[in-house]
Amino acid sequence: MHEVAESCAQPSESAVRERGAASYPTKELQFFNESLQQLKIAQLKFNESGECVEKVTPETKGKEMLVPLTSCMYVPGTIADAESLLIDVGTGYYLERNVNGAKDYFNRKIKFVTEQMEKIQKIASEKSKLREVVMDMMEVKLDHQLAAIQQQQAEAEAVKAKAAAADGM
Amino acid sequence: MGPEMLQKKLEEEVESYKKIQKDLSKTTNLRSQLDGQLNENKVVQEELDLIDDESVVFKLIGPALIRQDLEEARQNVNKRVEYITQEIKRHDNTMDKLEKDADAKRESIGMLQQQMQQMIRKQMGK
Repeated sequence: MHEVAESCAQPSESAVRERGAASYPTKELQFFNESLQQLKIAQLKFNESGECVEKVTPETKGKEMLVPLTSCMYVPGTIADAESLLIDVGTGYYLERNVNGAKDYFNRKIKFVTEQMEKIQKIASEKSKLREVVMDMMEVKLDHQLAAIQQQQAEAEAVKAKAAAADGM
Repeated sequence: MGPEMLQKKLEEEVESYKKIQKDLSKTTNLRSQLDGQLNENKVVQEELDLIDDESVVFKLIGPALIRQDLEEARQNVNKRVEYITQEIKRHDNTMDKLEKDADAKRESIGMLQQQMQQMIRKQMGK
């Protein structure tokens, strides 16, 4: 019997590519945040699998365990092989590796995902800075416009008042 | 050209511009999907290159894991990476073409709008 260490989530470098992302900073930020979230999930999965591998030692051989048939149904079984693990490397391929190889694999994956996360975080923070600048500019322009309109209105009122005063005379 | 003709032409141009935009976003989506697939395959390729030649490889076919020859698996993944790279190039080309088309359409729409405005101004002047 093989233990299957699963790692379905594949980090995508496409998240780093800007092409295809929405052109508005807000939407882009959303996209980056979603990617970060997904990467975090992938990282957690690799971490979990890595911890599981730590539990597999030569002493585990012959021990009893419950094999899940579904998420809520188990059958008892014994561990026949505590040396080799099957790892899902993506696109349907599974590799048989020994305990050390598996550990190495998960550590590499965690490192890879962490690097990607750092990359995205950097871009995201740049984007959010850019967005803030744009927002500030917009506010300033709006203020200017509002002030101009108010001044115009005040002038119009003044003219009217003058005209009324002239009529009254 | 009468104003009705101009109006009709403008509408047609806007319609085809919208269509190009739609195609463009479709191609962009496909492209990013391919990008994801390429990355996944590249990761697998790296893994397959890293392991020893006598390692055991399985492939998930439907619900069953089938034992595969390592060399075969490597070739398979290499071929897939090649194919996806080609596909990405193809999509990039279509995207470039669509972008150019969109630019041209935008220009001609602008021209038509200017013509419309001129006509309106002339009529107002009468």
